Amino acid sequence: MTLRRTLTIAALLTPGLGLILVMVGSVFYIAVAQSFGYYNLSGESAFSLDHWRDVLGSKQFGRSLGYSAYIAIISALGSIAIAYPLAIWMRKPFRGSLVVGSLLKAPLFVPGLVAAFLFLNVIAYHGVLNQFLIWTGLTDAPIRFQNDRNGFGVIFLQLWKNMPLALLLLTGAVQGISDEVVDAARDLGAGPLARFRKVIAPLTVQAMQAALIIIFIGAAGDFAFQVTAGPTNVQSMAQYMVFLKTSFGRWNQAAVVGVSLMGLALVGALGLAGLARLTLRGLKW
Amino acid sequence: MASLAAKGISKVFEDGFQALTDIDLVVEPGEFVTLLGPSGCGKTTLLKTLAGFYDATTGRIEIGGTDVTAAPPEKRDTAMCFQSYALFPHLTVAENIDFGPRQAGVPKAERRARLESLLRQVDLEAHRDKLPNRLSGGQQQRVALARALAMRPAVVLFDEPLSNLDAKLREQVRREIRALQKEIGFTAIYVTHDQSEALAMSDRVVVMQGGRIDQVGRPEEIYARPETAFVADFIGAANLVPFEDLGGGRVKTPLGELRAAVPPAGNASFICWRPEDVELVEAGAASENVIRGVVRDRAYQGAHTELHVATGDADLGLQRLHVAGAAPAEGAEVAFRLGADQIRFVRSALA
Repeated sequence: MTLRRTLTIAALLTPGLGLILVMVGSVFYIAVAQSFGYYNLSGESAFSLDHWRDVLGSKQFGRSLGYSAYIAIISALGSIAIAYPLAIWMRKPFRGSLVVGSLLKAPLFVPGLVAAFLFLNVIAYHGVLNQFLIWTGLTDAPIRFQNDRNGFGVIFLQLWKNMPLALLLLTGAVQGISDEVVDAARDLGAGPLARFRKVIAPLTVQAMQAALIIIFIGAAGDFAFQVTAGPTNVQSMAQYMVFLKTSFGRWNQAAVVGVSLMGLALVGALGLAGLARLTLRGLKW
Repeated sequence: MASLAAKGISKVFEDGFQALTDIDLVVEPGEFVTLLGPSGCGKTTLLKTLAGFYDATTGRIEIGGTDVTAAPPEKRDTAMCFQSYALFPHLTVAENIDFGPRQAGVPKAERRARLESLLRQVDLEAHRDKLPNRLSGGQQQRVALARALAMRPAVVLFDEPLSNLDAKLREQVRREIRALQKEIGFTAIYVTHDQSEALAMSDRVVVMQGGRIDQVGRPEEIYARPETAFVADFIGAANLVPFEDLGGGRVKTPLGELRAAVPPAGNASFICWRPEDVELVEAGAASENVIRGVVRDRAYQGAHTELHVATGDADLGLQRLHVAGAAPAEGAEVAFRLGADQIRFVRSALA
């Protein structure tokens, strides 16, 4: 390719790609710079590692990081685990499959905060679930489900919200496998599990990786589900970042948490995607 | 190597479409049987029913004397070569071939021996580590065949395996499949709509139409002694003319009165002859079974010239003749003689 042609292509890409790079790049740059003491909104701007030292040294940060990673990993893996059987089930159209598919994907159209409030209505102390349990006699008194310490409520909401996305990606990939390839595996003695492990999963690994990455990043940076239904004894990274900025005006420390969150998203997403590929390579036989 | 028997197989799909009706077929061990028929005749449905991908609505399937009617494909001692090859795109040639034996828990040494032997037999040793998308169509077909044979199945099922290959390659792979079948001796059921493929490869041909078997026989029998107008017309080219039986082998037809060596059976409704069975004679020749007409169209085919001849009866359509050597020009008046022993009688449809 000639230099002239290369420059022409680069120039043509500038309006789209350039804009994205500038928008994303500038935010990233400011966050990183702020974490090192620049763009200080409440004092002198100068290079400093103090903010990193302070944040990394706090217990609360460690707990937030661990909690966000936990929520993100379980949400990503759980969404995939639920979406795969559904995608395989709906691989071939059947009577009512369009309705079932639409219903399963409906959560994509419900804003997360609305979903969280609906969820609270169900699990609240005097909510529908507790009333049902008392009515059936399974419990004598209401149980406190809300803001459970293990974050199960948040995980449930993440699965509810993200599983349709995984389903969307996996359905397309699973439907892309020809019937004859699946039949060939069956003909060669592979039962349902072996067909999934040795044929379907390896051939849809890219969709699986895409779903894992997107869901992990979204769940790691969750704020709405956490403040609505999450545990009160631990904060998610996003919640902690806002807490530092709002409660103490520590913009630079909040930036440290923000940059760390981006790091978690990058490392975690790539780690999960890589793990998926390695696992499937190992499971090929 | 094992026999396969389909007894009274019928298949009705969920939408009510009856794809197969009362199929009875026995394939002997080591036999190469071809299911032949036009698109939609039920041959692939029958093959998939034998493989277990479709449940038979009625009837029974036995492989080696064992009833497998209710067994799923993975539990049947069959292996299938698919029309699209259906190779696993993420596995190498060697891994594709090894898939079945590994799945069946064959010991490693035995698996390796099978793999090496098959790679040699299908001449793909140099390609063992390639992914399928790096192979030509013919090579992919050979991998599919090797993958099926690696299972050492009782019966190998072929679903139009050559339809994606060009004409020259098709002939080459056809010979390779037949040679392997003879060498290894597996029982084979082969589906095709290509009658020349069926005639060239098969020990027996099963001609199907409308979900039924029209005729079963050796290729020579099917070609020389078709039982129905459909078989006569589908296998090669045939001229079909209605007749009225005059007794003693004599029949009255729109072409005139003809004499056949063998009198018609009671349910026959057409006389049939092959285009190459005629002999051109002098226009004024007075002889038995001589028919006169005008050449309306001629097509040079290399070994022969195909003539389309209009006879006296316009409603009958053109008669097809194959003439070796110099052939009359378009518009020429011709006379041709049918040998009495070349005239066969066929039924209009399955009785």
